[in-house]
Amino acid sequence: MKKILKSREFLVLALLVVMILAVSTVNAAVLRPLTLINIVNSSLFLILIAIGQMFVVMTRGIDVSVGAIAGLSAVIFGMALNAGIPLPLAMVCALLTGLVCGCVNAAGIVFVGIPPIIMTLGTLGAYRGLMRVLTGGSWIESIPQSIKTLAVTRYMSVPLMVWAVAALIIVLAILLSRIKAVRNFYAVGDNREGAYLLGINVRATEFTAYALAGLFSGAAAIVFTGQIGFVPMQTGSGQELKAIAAVVLGGVSLMGGTGTIWSAVIGALFLTTVDSMMIFLKVPGSWNNAVAGAVLLAIVVFDYLIRRAVRNRQLAMRAAEMHHAEQDHDTGFQPREAVR
Amino acid sequence: MKAATVFKSWEFMLAVVLVLELLVLGMINPAFLNIENLLFSTSDFAHVIIAAIGLTLIIMTGGIDISGVSIMGLASIVLGLAFIAGVPIGFAVIIALGVGIAAGAFNGAVVANTDVNPLIVTLATLFLYAGIATGLPTLLDMLGFQAYGAGGFEAYQYEGITGLPKEFTWIGSGRIGWVPMPLVVALLLAAVATWVMLFTRFGRYLKLIGVSPAVAHFTGVPIKRTLVTVYAMNGFAVAVAGLVLTAYLGSARSDLGSEALLSIITAVVLGGSSIYGGQGSVIGTLLAGFVLGFMRQGLLALGISSDVVPVIIGLLLVGSVALRIGLAKLSTARANRAAFAAERLAVEGNGGRS
Repeated sequence: MKKILKSREFLVLALLVVMILAVSTVNAAVLRPLTLINIVNSSLFLILIAIGQMFVVMTRGIDVSVGAIAGLSAVIFGMALNAGIPLPLAMVCALLTGLVCGCVNAAGIVFVGIPPIIMTLGTLGAYRGLMRVLTGGSWIESIPQSIKTLAVTRYMSVPLMVWAVAALIIVLAILLSRIKAVRNFYAVGDNREGAYLLGINVRATEFTAYALAGLFSGAAAIVFTGQIGFVPMQTGSGQELKAIAAVVLGGVSLMGGTGTIWSAVIGALFLTTVDSMMIFLKVPGSWNNAVAGAVLLAIVVFDYLIRRAVRNRQLAMRAAEMHHAEQDHDTGFQPREAVR
Repeated sequence: MKAATVFKSWEFMLAVVLVLELLVLGMINPAFLNIENLLFSTSDFAHVIIAAIGLTLIIMTGGIDISGVSIMGLASIVLGLAFIAGVPIGFAVIIALGVGIAAGAFNGAVVANTDVNPLIVTLATLFLYAGIATGLPTLLDMLGFQAYGAGGFEAYQYEGITGLPKEFTWIGSGRIGWVPMPLVVALLLAAVATWVMLFTRFGRYLKLIGVSPAVAHFTGVPIKRTLVTVYAMNGFAVAVAGLVLTAYLGSARSDLGSEALLSIITAVVLGGSSIYGGQGSVIGTLLAGFVLGFMRQGLLALGISSDVVPVIIGLLLVGSVALRIGLAKLSTARANRAAFAAERLAVEGNGGRS
């Protein structure tokens, strides 16, 4: 319990609650259940790509192409639906697109050895360009009602998609804590060479991480298309950076080896909530980015200061212990010295 | 430097690629090889080269600054707003450059004083500076500054500020002889950056930090001061890039250059800089910038849709790094084989004697 309270995820969650409460003193409309549900609903896209990003960051990698993958998957999804392919099959198409894009990233990074940031930056351009080539630069509209109704269907006034994503998150959280192979992500991220010496298949682990990032981006594309009802060319644009910001905010270190699914979920929720709170505070929308950036910067710097303070205290304690030990040595162990 | 090392260097390969590229494009369309056209078309991508030169110095230290594209927009809108507010244009340029340097130095200060990854720091400031740039007009309105237009400064949030004086737009559209001003600025900055890298102690510090921060620290390199300075220098470079682009387009916008990030990083990496630091050159970045820029121009001139261009640039980025990795593996393999052969020779020679 104490461990949970001390975790970064909890800190951010607490900040989130404090922020909502603080805003509610100015504008009580924030606390209406419907408002909160809508905030969660609008953060689904970011939550999904952030979860994918989390796997990559856990292995000490980075994937800046997730937004572009989501865009490309959305285009494929929209085209598949418009071609008359039934909804479940179209969803599979979108997921497969994401998976394939992720595997392309993985192949370059794992088998060729291209630095992750370079590889995914390159594919960011490639996927985004491909998206325009496929559609000729025009939006995909007149998407069948089936997917849109799915998005507006509410169950106990909570959208069906929120239920679906919540279920997915809980199942994932359980799976991640139960499956032994998940530990490989942490091991590889924390110490690649060490993991290799332990007999962990480092390449397979890294490959899986990028493939999963692609798969979740594909899932995010389905949610996006359902919620928006058409596929604009800007789909997912800039979201890759928000996804990285979300996981870092939630406490996944870019140095690898840390993080849980809750980091991604809470980080993404936090970023979306910040945007929504601006509306309730009647701050012009043009300031959204500035606030998101300032919050991210403040949290990572604050986190550094805490870590430094903790380390300094540990060092001071150890110094004090050594000081004591030396004094003991001077007095208590004197005879032994004399014997020698 | 021996002639052989020059011919084997990455920069020489880039120069060959550049010449080949121009020849191929010229063969397809002879109008492309018109010197005047060629020089004039550099104005379209000079801002990418200028920003890439600044980034080269940072990547040399093993860091990265992705917030540069936001600083470009910030410098542009600051200049525009200062001009609207009646500040003399020369002074407005100084303010905009000052904002760029301050923004860069802030990045550097955070990177130098914490252990937070530079990518994350500048990711945060990428949002922060872009947000300040788009929010600045409304902020000025709220602070009660009187704008001349009816809509206040807010009107300039989405549309560019035009009507900039000729003395300023000359930086973007003027030329000295045949050479357009943006290219002059880019070459000038490249020359200064090359001098810094090759002939100053500061340049050596940058490289040493990139090779090994720990060794640099124990050698007595003032790491913090060096990092803050180099990020501030990058802030200056991208602010210049933003102003050059503003002058070229004749309009100050807050979202100026926001799509240039991929091209900028591609130019630096294609130019031979290692993303892990300690390796690279300004000349390489400059050449890579030309290769990329002319390629874009050529593709567009050939009637290839501009949608395909990012695909090609992306593939080029990945391909160039893969090529370098392949070359490095080949040379290691060759060195290993040579060492093995030498060893065997030595052992056999030894065996014969005993």
